[in-house]
Amino acid sequence: MDYLVAVLLPQLLHGLVFGAALGLLALGLTVIFGLLGVMNFAHGELYMLGAYAGIAVVGLTHSFWVALILAPLSVAALGAVTEIATLRPIYRREPLYGLILTFGLALVFREGARQIWGGDMRRILPPVTGSTPLLGMTYPNYRLFLLGASSVLLLAIWVFFTRTRAGVLVRAAVQDAEMLDGLGVNVPRLFTLTFAGSAALAALAGLLLAPVFTVYPQMGVEMILLAFIVVILGGMGSMGGSVVAALVIGIAQSLFALWMNPQRVAIAIFGIMIVVLIVRPRGFFGREGVLE
Amino acid sequence: MSRVVTWRALVAFGALAALPALPLTSKYYLLLAFDALLFGAIAMSLDLLIGYTGLVSFGHAAFYGLGAYATAILLERGVLSVWACLAGAFVVVSLYAAIVSYFATARRGIYFALLTLVFAEVVYTFFRYTQTFGGSDGIQGLPDAVLWRGVPIDTPERKYYLVLVYLAVAYAVCRVVVTSHFGRVLVAIRENEDRARFLGYSVQRYKMAACMISALLTGLAGAIYPIRSAFATPDLMLWTESGEFIISVMIGGLGTLVGPILGGVFFTLLRDKVSSVVDWYFIVIGVVLVLIVLFMPKGLLGLRRLVGSRPWRQAA
Repeated sequence: MDYLVAVLLPQLLHGLVFGAALGLLALGLTVIFGLLGVMNFAHGELYMLGAYAGIAVVGLTHSFWVALILAPLSVAALGAVTEIATLRPIYRREPLYGLILTFGLALVFREGARQIWGGDMRRILPPVTGSTPLLGMTYPNYRLFLLGASSVLLLAIWVFFTRTRAGVLVRAAVQDAEMLDGLGVNVPRLFTLTFAGSAALAALAGLLLAPVFTVYPQMGVEMILLAFIVVILGGMGSMGGSVVAALVIGIAQSLFALWMNPQRVAIAIFGIMIVVLIVRPRGFFGREGVLE
Repeated sequence: MSRVVTWRALVAFGALAALPALPLTSKYYLLLAFDALLFGAIAMSLDLLIGYTGLVSFGHAAFYGLGAYATAILLERGVLSVWACLAGAFVVVSLYAAIVSYFATARRGIYFALLTLVFAEVVYTFFRYTQTFGGSDGIQGLPDAVLWRGVPIDTPERKYYLVLVYLAVAYAVCRVVVTSHFGRVLVAIRENEDRARFLGYSVQRYKMAACMISALLTGLAGAIYPIRSAFATPDLMLWTESGEFIISVMIGGLGTLVGPILGGVFFTLLRDKVSSVVDWYFIVIGVVLVLIVLFMPKGLLGLRRLVGSRPWRQAA
């Protein structure tokens, strides 16, 4: 019982917190993949830039909350410009080109961040300090805030896609962009806005996780691999699947960390993915024939 | 002259063979040429998969790195024969490639890319954290390999000729593959997988075979690398390395074999030159890549048909 409360429960919560933030990252990846057919290799760098933009804003205004608004907006603007300049011209090409193009963008962003902010590890102080007694243990307030914020965001995204006209348009574009174009919707603008939105989500995840993790130019590379695994596990193009898979991976990762050293955890996560793909080749919620 | 051995290829390899004889070629440039040709050979092997079969592997660094580690481990333990190293790499890489290609070829398009990436990452993580193989430092300070008794591969000239012979053999293998019936089936699979299946071809088996050939050629190239560098590190298996292989293929032009060799050479020289001038050469390489995708999708020599007009979003 002591073990349960003192070790297992906090670790489970850690997993949930991390999983929810990972879900934000994976969701953007999934939507862009469904919409543009592009697996965005630069998504991890948008996540990284979110954290750095946050550091910059905190440095200027000394407020984490202002940063929480300004950083995603600035990364979204960067995303929109990038989309218009590089992805829009290649919509009609093989998905391979999108993959390679975003790989190049990732190199530019990562090295750019290293040039601007240097390669050292940085930290952001959590804006919420202290801890709260919870179920017989004490849990840091910031992580609770992180969990709350991610959950609210995920819920908001769900409402957006099911209840608003814009969300329905995005889903329609995933189904059949050509038809939507024929119906008079400005599809390129829709694509650009969605890309900007996904960039903002990635930036938000980066900034929200920054007080828990450290900030460095390579931080996106490690997260993007995890996000790829989440997207594969959840089923390509399935938004709900991505969120479920993100929570599964988040919890699995933090529970494994109790019994294994970090590299074994990484290999165990890969193991989970391989087993799931043997049992369910299309992931949790992937449907046959979708995006194949 | 046959379809495989052409005059042009003979002249090109003849010119390359004469390179060390030039008075201006220093040791530094010979080793740079080694790297360039090795990179070209890998890009060419990858082209078999990307350009001809239409499968984008983001995990070729694992084949490369495994080959390099096979040689490094053997050299470290006093097995100096080049042939033993190549044989060791062959065995290790074929085992791993069989597993990867079995799972990855079951899926198409982006799935294939991501699966190869994730498998490669498993191998990277393993070597990165296994202290027996030196952890993140890898295996350093290897002795010179021996071609046969009394002929060590110690000078830059000998190393250069080793990679040149390897490139020639690998090129011949690739030419045989793409001009054969087998190669034509691969192109058919690239163009229309379902139609190839309806024609009665076992698509997955063909894809697996293409994967294996490409992986083995890459693995053998990896096996040669420590003979020149005297080390093998986990960084050889990093997925960004796989990305650089793909970049080389793209620069050269998909589905041309010769193009990716040129692409690999160009990329190696670009990296060497730019990194000696500025320390932000990744930005240069990233921008070059973006520009190539946007304005020169066919590469230095490329196929036109890959770039045709397509509907809004088409399944891969």
